[in-house]
Amino acid sequence: MDSKATAKALHQPVADRVREQTAPEINAQIDRETQARIYGFAARRKEDIAARLEELEREWDMERLLETNASTLALIGLGMSALHSRKWLVLPGVVFSFFLQHAVQGWCPPVPAFRRLGIRTRQEINREKYALKVLRGDFEGSSGTPGNNRSPEIALRSVGA
Amino acid sequence: MERSFYDVTSKGAVLQQSEVERVRANTDPKINARIDREIEDRVHFYAAQDNQEITRRIEELEREWSIERAIEVEASSMGLIGLTLGLGVNRKFLALPTFVAGMMLLHGGQGWYPLLPVFRRLGFRTRQEIDREKFALKALRGDFEGISAHSGIAQAQKAWQAVCA
Repeated sequence: MDSKATAKALHQPVADRVREQTAPEINAQIDRETQARIYGFAARRKEDIAARLEELEREWDMERLLETNASTLALIGLGMSALHSRKWLVLPGVVFSFFLQHAVQGWCPPVPAFRRLGIRTRQEINREKYALKVLRGDFEGSSGTPGNNRSPEIALRSVGA
Repeated sequence: MERSFYDVTSKGAVLQQSEVERVRANTDPKINARIDREIEDRVHFYAAQDNQEITRRIEELEREWSIERAIEVEASSMGLIGLTLGLGVNRKFLALPTFVAGMMLLHGGQGWYPLLPVFRRLGFRTRQEIDREKFALKALRGDFEGISAHSGIAQAQKAWQAVCA
Protein backbone atom coordinates (compact mmCIF):
# COMPACT_ATOMS: atom_id res chain seq x y z
CA MET A 1 0.00 0.00 0.00
CA ASP A 2 1.17 3.48 -0.78
CA SER A 3 2.38 5.08 2.43
CA LYS A 4 1.81 8.60 1.17
CA ALA A 5 -1.84 7.85 0.58
CA THR A 6 -2.22 6.54 4.13
CA ALA A 7 -0.51 9.54 5.66
CA LYS A 8 -2.84 11.76 3.70
CA ALA A 9 -5.86 9.78 4.82
CA LEU A 10 -4.83 10.16 8.44
CA HIS A 11 -4.37 13.89 8.24
CA GLN A 12 -7.49 14.86 6.44
CA PRO A 13 -8.52 18.40 7.18
CA VAL A 14 -12.12 17.32 6.80
CA ALA A 15 -14.36 18.51 9.60
CA ASP A 16 -16.11 15.29 10.52
CA ARG A 17 -17.14 15.20 14.17
CA VAL A 18 -17.42 11.43 14.37
CA ARG A 19 -13.93 10.95 12.94
CA GLU A 20 -12.52 13.44 15.38
CA GLN A 21 -14.01 11.43 18.24
CA THR A 22 -12.75 8.07 16.96
CA ALA A 23 -9.41 6.46 17.79
CA PRO A 24 -6.96 7.17 14.92
CA GLU A 25 -6.25 3.48 14.37
CA ILE A 26 -9.94 2.79 13.80
CA ASN A 27 -10.23 5.70 11.36
CA ALA A 28 -7.14 4.37 9.60
CA GLN A 29 -8.64 0.88 9.45
CA ILE A 30 -11.86 2.22 7.91
CA ASP A 31 -9.84 4.28 5.41
CA ARG A 32 -7.74 1.26 4.49
CA GLU A 33 -10.84 -0.77 3.74
CA THR A 34 -12.32 2.03 1.63
CA GLN A 35 -9.04 2.46 -0.22
CA ALA A 36 -8.72 -1.27 -0.89
CA ARG A 37 -12.21 -1.31 -2.37
CA ILE A 38 -11.46 1.64 -4.64
CA TYR A 39 -8.26 -0.06 -5.83
CA GLY A 40 -10.25 -3.21 -6.47
CA PHE A 41 -12.64 -1.29 -8.71
CA ALA A 42 -9.82 0.27 -10.75
CA ALA A 43 -9.77 -2.81 -12.95
CA ARG A 44 -13.52 -3.38 -13.04
CA ARG A 45 -16.12 -2.52 -15.64
CA LYS A 46 -18.28 0.59 -15.49
CA GLU A 47 -21.37 -1.49 -14.79
CA ASP A 48 -19.71 -2.87 -11.65
CA ILE A 49 -18.90 0.64 -10.49
CA ALA A 50 -22.51 1.72 -11.11
CA ALA A 51 -23.75 -1.20 -9.04
CA ARG A 52 -21.36 -0.30 -6.22
CA LEU A 53 -22.51 3.34 -6.33
CA GLU A 54 -26.08 2.22 -5.81
CA GLU A 55 -25.02 0.08 -2.90
CA LEU A 56 -23.24 3.05 -1.32
CA GLU A 57 -26.40 5.17 -1.52
CA ARG A 58 -28.22 2.54 0.51
CA GLU A 59 -25.44 1.95 3.06
CA TRP A 60 -26.51 2.77 6.62
CA ASP A 61 -24.38 5.62 7.89
CA MET A 62 -23.51 6.42 11.49
CA GLU A 63 -26.25 9.05 11.95
CA ARG A 64 -29.01 6.77 10.74
CA LEU A 65 -27.86 3.92 12.93
CA LEU A 66 -27.57 6.16 16.00
CA GLU A 67 -31.00 7.70 15.44
CA THR A 68 -32.60 4.28 15.20
CA ASN A 69 -30.63 2.96 18.16
CA ALA A 70 -31.34 5.95 20.44
CA SER A 71 -35.05 6.11 19.69
CA THR A 72 -35.48 2.37 20.25
CA LEU A 73 -33.75 2.55 23.64
CA ALA A 74 -35.78 5.63 24.64
CA LEU A 75 -39.04 3.88 23.69
CA ILE A 76 -38.08 0.77 25.68
CA GLY A 77 -37.36 2.93 28.75
CA LEU A 78 -40.64 4.84 28.39
CA GLY A 79 -42.61 1.63 27.91
CA MET A 80 -41.04 -0.02 30.94
CA SER A 81 -41.70 3.08 33.05
CA ALA A 82 -45.40 2.84 32.22
CA LEU A 83 -45.54 -0.90 32.91
CA HIS A 84 -43.14 -1.35 35.82
CA SER A 85 -41.37 1.42 37.60
CA ARG A 86 -40.81 5.13 37.08
CA LYS A 87 -37.12 4.44 37.62
CA TRP A 88 -37.01 3.28 34.00
CA LEU A 89 -37.28 6.95 32.97
CA VAL A 90 -33.55 7.13 33.68
CA LEU A 91 -33.01 5.27 30.40
CA PRO A 92 -34.64 7.82 28.04
CA GLY A 93 -33.05 10.58 30.16
CA VAL A 94 -29.56 9.19 29.58
CA VAL A 95 -30.26 8.37 25.94
CA PHE A 96 -31.57 11.85 25.05
CA SER A 97 -28.71 13.53 26.93
CA PHE A 98 -26.03 11.54 25.15
CA PHE A 99 -27.78 11.97 21.84
CA LEU A 100 -27.83 15.73 22.30
CA GLN A 101 -24.14 15.58 23.12
CA HIS A 102 -23.55 13.52 19.98
CA ALA A 103 -25.39 16.02 17.80
CA VAL A 104 -23.41 18.93 19.19
CA GLN A 105 -20.02 17.36 19.69
CA GLY A 106 -19.93 14.04 17.84
CA TRP A 107 -19.46 11.50 20.59
CA CYS A 108 -21.89 9.25 22.42
CA PRO A 109 -21.32 5.82 24.03
CA PRO A 110 -22.27 3.58 21.06
CA VAL A 111 -20.00 5.47 18.62
CA PRO A 112 -16.75 3.58 19.41
CA ALA A 113 -18.53 0.23 19.19
CA PHE A 114 -20.21 1.11 15.88
CA ARG A 115 -16.93 2.44 14.48
CA ARG A 116 -15.21 -0.80 15.40
CA LEU A 117 -17.93 -2.61 13.45
CA GLY A 118 -16.97 -0.50 10.45
CA ILE A 119 -19.95 1.89 10.41
CA ARG A 120 -18.97 4.91 8.34
CA THR A 121 -20.06 8.52 8.32
CA ARG A 122 -21.86 9.81 5.23
CA GLN A 123 -18.75 11.85 4.43
CA GLU A 124 -16.64 8.69 4.34
CA ILE A 125 -19.19 6.89 2.18
CA ASN A 126 -19.28 9.86 -0.18
CA ARG A 127 -15.50 9.83 -0.49
CA GLU A 128 -15.68 6.28 -1.81
CA LYS A 129 -18.56 7.27 -4.06
CA TYR A 130 -16.77 10.19 -5.67
CA ALA A 131 -13.44 8.35 -5.98
CA LEU A 132 -15.30 5.69 -7.98
CA LYS A 133 -16.95 8.37 -10.10
CA VAL A 134 -13.56 9.91 -10.78
CA LEU A 135 -12.23 6.49 -11.81
CA ARG A 136 -15.21 6.03 -14.10
CA GLY A 137 -14.19 9.25 -15.82
CA ASP A 138 -17.28 11.22 -14.76
CA PHE A 139 -15.31 14.40 -14.07
CA GLU A 140 -13.28 14.47 -17.27
CA GLY A 141 -13.27 17.87 -18.87
CA SER A 142 -14.65 19.77 -15.88
CA SER A 143 -11.52 21.54 -14.65
CA GLY A 144 -9.52 24.44 -15.94
CA THR A 145 -8.97 28.02 -14.90
CA PRO A 146 -11.75 30.58 -14.51
CA GLY A 147 -13.09 31.46 -17.91
CA ASN A 148 -10.80 28.94 -19.56
CA ASN A 149 -12.21 25.46 -20.21
CA ARG A 150 -13.65 25.22 -16.73
CA SER A 151 -17.05 23.63 -17.05
CA PRO A 152 -19.57 23.94 -14.23
CA GLU A 153 -22.00 22.03 -16.46
CA ILE A 154 -19.79 18.94 -16.55
CA ALA A 155 -19.01 19.25 -12.84
CA LEU A 156 -22.71 19.43 -11.98
CA ARG A 157 -23.64 16.58 -14.25
CA SER A 158 -20.85 14.48 -12.76
CA VAL A 159 -22.08 14.85 -9.20
CA GLY A 160 -25.63 14.11 -10.29
CA ALA A 161 -26.97 17.50 -9.23
CA MET B 1 -39.98 1.20 -3.87
CA GLU B 2 -36.31 1.40 -4.70
CA ARG B 3 -35.46 2.83 -8.06
CA SER B 4 -32.04 2.79 -9.57
CA PHE B 5 -29.92 5.73 -8.44
CA TYR B 6 -28.48 6.26 -11.84
CA ASP B 7 -29.80 5.79 -15.30
CA VAL B 8 -26.60 4.93 -17.02
CA THR B 9 -26.20 5.31 -20.76
CA SER B 10 -23.83 3.17 -22.77
CA LYS B 11 -21.19 5.82 -22.16
CA GLY B 12 -21.78 5.70 -18.44
CA ALA B 13 -23.01 9.29 -18.22
CA VAL B 14 -25.41 10.13 -15.44
CA LEU B 15 -28.67 11.29 -16.92
CA GLN B 16 -30.99 11.46 -14.05
CA GLN B 17 -30.97 10.88 -10.37
CA SER B 18 -33.91 9.33 -8.62
CA GLU B 19 -34.86 9.90 -5.04
CA VAL B 20 -33.24 7.02 -3.26
CA GLU B 21 -32.23 9.50 -0.56
CA ARG B 22 -34.80 9.17 2.19
CA VAL B 23 -34.98 12.84 3.10
CA ARG B 24 -35.36 13.99 -0.49
CA ALA B 25 -38.00 11.35 -1.11
CA ASN B 26 -39.98 12.86 1.77
CA THR B 27 -39.57 16.49 0.72
CA ASP B 28 -41.85 18.55 -1.49
CA PRO B 29 -40.29 18.32 -5.00
CA LYS B 30 -40.49 22.13 -5.25
CA ILE B 31 -38.20 22.49 -2.22
CA ASN B 32 -35.80 19.84 -3.53
CA ALA B 33 -35.70 21.74 -6.82
CA ARG B 34 -34.95 24.99 -5.02
CA ILE B 35 -32.08 23.40 -3.08
CA ASP B 36 -30.72 21.93 -6.33
CA ARG B 37 -31.00 25.26 -8.10
CA GLU B 38 -29.02 26.94 -5.34
CA ILE B 39 -26.26 24.34 -5.76
CA GLU B 40 -26.22 24.96 -9.52
CA ASP B 41 -26.08 28.71 -9.07
CA ARG B 42 -23.24 28.46 -6.59
CA VAL B 43 -21.20 26.08 -8.76
CA HIS B 44 -21.64 28.46 -11.70
CA PHE B 45 -20.64 31.37 -9.50
CA TYR B 46 -17.49 29.65 -8.22
CA ALA B 47 -16.51 28.57 -11.74
CA ALA B 48 -15.58 32.21 -12.27
CA GLN B 49 -13.66 32.53 -8.98
CA ASP B 50 -10.06 31.57 -8.27
CA ASN B 51 -9.08 28.39 -6.44
CA GLN B 52 -8.59 30.17 -3.11
CA GLU B 53 -12.23 31.20 -3.06
CA ILE B 54 -13.27 27.67 -3.95
CA THR B 55 -11.17 26.25 -1.11
CA ARG B 56 -12.81 28.63 1.34
CA ARG B 57 -16.25 27.53 0.19
CA ILE B 58 -15.30 23.84 0.48
CA GLU B 59 -14.21 24.37 4.09
CA GLU B 60 -17.51 26.10 4.77
CA LEU B 61 -19.39 23.14 3.28
CA GLU B 62 -17.54 20.68 5.51
CA ARG B 63 -18.70 22.62 8.55
CA GLU B 64 -22.30 23.02 7.34
CA TRP B 65 -24.92 21.50 9.64
CA SER B 66 -26.70 18.67 7.87
CA ILE B 67 -30.40 18.06 8.34
CA GLU B 68 -29.62 14.95 10.41
CA ARG B 69 -27.75 17.08 12.92
CA ALA B 70 -30.59 19.59 13.09
CA ILE B 71 -33.14 16.84 13.70
CA GLU B 72 -30.92 15.21 16.35
CA VAL B 73 -30.55 18.44 18.31
CA GLU B 74 -34.26 19.23 18.09
CA ALA B 75 -35.45 15.71 18.93
CA SER B 76 -33.18 15.17 21.91
CA SER B 77 -33.99 18.62 23.33
CA MET B 78 -37.71 18.00 23.00
CA GLY B 79 -37.25 14.58 24.57
CA LEU B 80 -35.42 16.05 27.57
CA ILE B 81 -37.98 18.83 28.02
CA GLY B 82 -40.80 16.28 27.92
CA LEU B 83 -39.10 14.08 30.51
CA THR B 84 -38.51 17.01 32.83
CA LEU B 85 -42.12 18.15 32.57
CA GLY B 86 -43.32 14.57 32.93
CA LEU B 87 -41.41 14.11 36.15
CA GLY B 88 -41.91 17.61 37.57
CA VAL B 89 -45.38 18.66 36.47
CA ASN B 90 -47.63 15.96 35.10
CA ARG B 91 -47.03 12.43 33.87
CA LYS B 92 -49.05 13.22 30.77
CA PHE B 93 -46.07 15.18 29.48
CA LEU B 94 -44.31 11.83 29.00
CA ALA B 95 -46.33 11.61 25.79
CA LEU B 96 -43.89 14.15 24.33
CA PRO B 97 -40.66 12.10 24.61
CA THR B 98 -42.62 9.04 23.49
CA PHE B 99 -43.83 10.87 20.40
CA VAL B 100 -40.37 12.26 19.69
CA ALA B 101 -38.68 8.86 20.01
CA GLY B 102 -41.32 7.26 17.82
CA MET B 103 -40.90 9.91 15.14
CA MET B 104 -37.13 9.64 15.23
CA LEU B 105 -37.41 5.88 14.77
CA LEU B 106 -39.68 6.52 11.79
CA HIS B 107 -37.15 9.01 10.43
CA GLY B 108 -34.31 6.51 10.80
CA GLY B 109 -36.28 3.81 9.05
CA GLN B 110 -38.16 5.62 6.36
CA GLY B 111 -36.95 9.22 6.32
CA TRP B 112 -40.04 11.23 7.22
CA TYR B 113 -40.13 13.43 10.29
CA PRO B 114 -42.84 15.87 11.44
CA LEU B 115 -40.52 18.89 11.27
CA LEU B 116 -38.83 17.79 8.05
CA PRO B 117 -40.79 20.28 5.89
CA VAL B 118 -39.83 23.09 8.27
CA PHE B 119 -36.13 22.22 8.31
CA ARG B 120 -36.06 21.75 4.54
CA ARG B 121 -37.78 25.09 4.00
CA LEU B 122 -35.16 26.66 6.24
CA GLY B 123 -32.57 25.25 3.83
CA PHE B 124 -31.10 22.38 5.86
CA ARG B 125 -29.51 19.97 3.40
CA THR B 126 -28.61 16.32 3.51
CA ARG B 127 -24.92 15.41 3.61
CA GLN B 128 -25.40 13.98 0.11
CA GLU B 129 -26.52 17.38 -1.16
CA ILE B 130 -23.72 19.20 0.63
CA ASP B 131 -21.15 16.78 -0.77
CA ARG B 132 -22.58 17.13 -4.27
CA GLU B 133 -21.74 20.83 -4.14
CA LYS B 134 -18.38 20.08 -2.52
CA PHE B 135 -17.23 17.55 -5.12
CA ALA B 136 -18.46 19.69 -8.02
CA LEU B 137 -16.29 22.49 -6.61
CA LYS B 138 -13.35 20.12 -6.20
CA ALA B 139 -13.73 19.18 -9.86
CA LEU B 140 -13.68 22.88 -10.80
CA ARG B 141 -10.56 23.38 -8.67
CA GLY B 142 -8.88 20.70 -10.77
CA ASP B 143 -8.57 18.08 -8.02
CA PHE B 144 -9.48 15.31 -10.44
CA GLU B 145 -7.35 16.52 -13.32
CA GLY B 146 -5.05 14.01 -14.95
CA ILE B 147 -6.74 10.98 -13.46
CA SER B 148 -7.65 8.97 -16.48
CA ALA B 149 -10.56 6.65 -16.34
CA HIS B 150 -9.83 3.02 -15.73
CA SER B 151 -6.16 2.46 -15.92
CA GLY B 152 -5.10 0.61 -12.87
CA ILE B 153 -4.02 1.02 -9.30
CA ALA B 154 -1.96 4.17 -9.87
CA GLN B 155 -5.07 6.00 -11.06
CA ALA B 156 -7.08 4.60 -8.17
CA GLN B 157 -4.48 5.92 -5.75
CA LYS B 158 -4.70 9.34 -7.33
CA ALA B 159 -8.48 9.24 -7.13
CA TRP B 160 -8.39 8.38 -3.44
CA GLN B 161 -5.91 11.13 -2.67
CA ALA B 162 -7.99 13.59 -4.67
CA VAL B 163 -11.20 12.91 -2.77
CA CYS B 164 -9.36 13.16 0.56
CA ALA B 165 -7.59 16.41 -0.26
